[in-house]
Amino acid sequence: MPDNVVVRDLRKRYGGTEAVRGVSFAVPAGEIFGLLGPNGAGKTTTLECLLGLREPDGGHLEVCGVDARRDPRTAKRKLGVALQSTALPDKITPREALGLFGAFYPEHVAADGLLERFALTAKADAPFDSLSGGQKQRLALALAFVHAPEVVVLDEPTTGLDPQARRELHDEILRIKRDGKTVLLTTHDLAEAEQLCDRIAIIDRGRIVATGTPAELVARAQGKQSVSLVTDRPLAAALWAGVTGGAEMSCDGATVSFRTADANASVAAVTALLAEHRVELVELHVRRATLEEIFLGLTRSGATATEAAP
Amino acid sequence: MNGLGEHLKLSVRLHFRNTLALIYGYLFPLIFLVAFWVLYRHEKVPLLRHMGELLTVSVLGGACFGLPTSMVSERERGVWRRYRLTPLPTWAFVVSTAVARYLIVLSAGLLQLGLALAVGMTLPEHPLGLFVAFTFVAFALIGLGLVIATLADNVPAVQALGQCIFLPMLIIGGVAVQLASLPTWAQQLSAFFPGRYAVEAIQACVTGDGLAAARFSLPALALIGVAGCIAGTKLFRWDSAQRFATRSGKLWLIPVFAAWAAVGVLAEWQARVSARVAAEMAAAIAVAPVSKEKPWLALTSKDVAQLNFRVPSDYGVVAPYAAPDDEATDYTKDELDNVRRELPTWRPGLRGDDVQRVRNLLCVAAVPDAIQMPVERYLPPVVLQHLEDTYPRDQLIKILTWIVLHPDDGTVVDNIEALGVQGSAGDPFVVRERSYLYALKFIIRLTGRDRR
Repeated sequence: MPDNVVVRDLRKRYGGTEAVRGVSFAVPAGEIFGLLGPNGAGKTTTLECLLGLREPDGGHLEVCGVDARRDPRTAKRKLGVALQSTALPDKITPREALGLFGAFYPEHVAADGLLERFALTAKADAPFDSLSGGQKQRLALALAFVHAPEVVVLDEPTTGLDPQARRELHDEILRIKRDGKTVLLTTHDLAEAEQLCDRIAIIDRGRIVATGTPAELVARAQGKQSVSLVTDRPLAAALWAGVTGGAEMSCDGATVSFRTADANASVAAVTALLAEHRVELVELHVRRATLEEIFLGLTRSGATATEAAP
Repeated sequence: MNGLGEHLKLSVRLHFRNTLALIYGYLFPLIFLVAFWVLYRHEKVPLLRHMGELLTVSVLGGACFGLPTSMVSERERGVWRRYRLTPLPTWAFVVSTAVARYLIVLSAGLLQLGLALAVGMTLPEHPLGLFVAFTFVAFALIGLGLVIATLADNVPAVQALGQCIFLPMLIIGGVAVQLASLPTWAQQLSAFFPGRYAVEAIQACVTGDGLAAARFSLPALALIGVAGCIAGTKLFRWDSAQRFATRSGKLWLIPVFAAWAAVGVLAEWQARVSARVAAEMAAAIAVAPVSKEKPWLALTSKDVAQLNFRVPSDYGVVAPYAAPDDEATDYTKDELDNVRRELPTWRPGLRGDDVQRVRNLLCVAAVPDAIQMPVERYLPPVVLQHLEDTYPRDQLIKILTWIVLHPDDGTVVDNIEALGVQGSAGDPFVVRERSYLYALKFIIRLTGRDRR
């Protein structure tokens, strides 16, 4: 599969702050690629550079074989974009908005078909300011499809949506993939990323710190399991550090959690410690690390860039 | 280009769905028109002499407030950011927005014109020329509106910037206050404001010689418009996160200021600023041919009785007349004493035949009234007293009656500085009109109609 999006050594500086420091990734056709990162990590700036909203200081940007820095207008014809918050004039109707945005492209999809596909037919002639948050978001998606783009960029598309609207949107994104489109998605929601994305890049402090499929990223933490337990009374954190090693441990009163490469040994050490101090174990959970824990671990520690094993 | 057309169509359509925009865009110009109509209700042809001012105020409002307010509020909400994701180039959005605004101000102008015609205004002398002049005015001021939109970071800043341009243009830029009634320094400053040329160009097509009389104004407006549109496009901001202070390319503002300065300097260099005033002064000292005949002597008391004595109130804005117990301030008293002292030797009062002399003397009351000087209501009794001292009452009544019956004959004086009263109306038409009203008021007093 050819790469529909190529970002190579992207750099962007705001004054004295280097917001993006050599970000590189590639997304082949037919893939949903998730860009994850905490606020201020550089994912929005990366996206804005790709979309032509910001001028990068350096690096190569390519959309469907078109150099997006040299020929942004052609690149924009290949891109369909739904921003986090959709802004349109208050009194424009969904039908008019689709007609207007369709006219910006040489070829476009009929408005009626998009209204039906995105369940907006009943609101086709209602002013934008009377639409609900979910309807506005669906209209944003419909606008992204108005010219049948090859690459769809969704910037935190489910933010602020209720669970029902969120599920509908997830179904729509999966349908986009089935149609053979490339989807570049940013999200804060790790469960969403795990559910939707074929591959994920975790970005932190302007650098990509991990890339891979959700399963690969979880597998990276292979051998490390997550242990959490609750006791009938708290023990000093220094005592816990002796059995957990201290790293990746959190202790909040009688609740303790930590990660370990040898769950059997750790649990044995924990029970020995509790017996020694006559503390009763109330709850004990041992499970494999989640994507969220991996994400937090990577973005907290300032880990260096790594590529997950293919 | 399909995108540009669609954006243009939709921009106009959305304007008509915005109640506030409709109020600002259409109701306010109509309120201005009604205000001018009421203020100048005694003019023979309603509003005809004020269309330049009225249409310029409408375009100013639409271009310097309406356009940037709409652009900046959409930018603040992220609408322009969304447009930027499309392949349509910046200039296409700027052109579409500017043309949409032009259509909006044109419709407001047509509405004003329609209402003016409905209340009795006659058709403009050069309708096609008026359309061309209006287009040039709109182009210049829309360019200015685009610059305001680039300078302002938010809607309150648009209001502040707009007022900074709107008010000076209204007051000392020749838009709402006639230039001739302004001090010399303000007249010279007005040469640097597009409002002056806007009023000149439009008024020339309504009552003057058409576009031929706007040979300076039209290129001046075009230059100001081109500079504004270039700067507006070059400094165009898609995103409210881009603050103007941090924006590069601020040097594009230089053409805007350079255009204003070039037009002003050229006007000064060509002595255009004072040329108009000089022309008025020349008219003031012009002497009408002396007629040895005295046709007014044939007028009878019946002719006097048949006059239409409907005149504005003595306490109103137009042709006020101080009551005998209305005491002037000390400063005004000094001015009046000076006029009384100078009037017998005032040259225009001694030139020409009797009718022309009385006509000139009436101007001593008419000019301060036209420019609403504090001394305006105290001067008519002084003038009447001088006339009574100069002419027998029956002759004076006949001369005044002749003037009322022939208001457009002879010449008028628009400068009475020799009497110690500064300022001029700048428009002989107004002076004639006020002279006519004071002639009637004098006849009313001389024939005792005020006591009936």
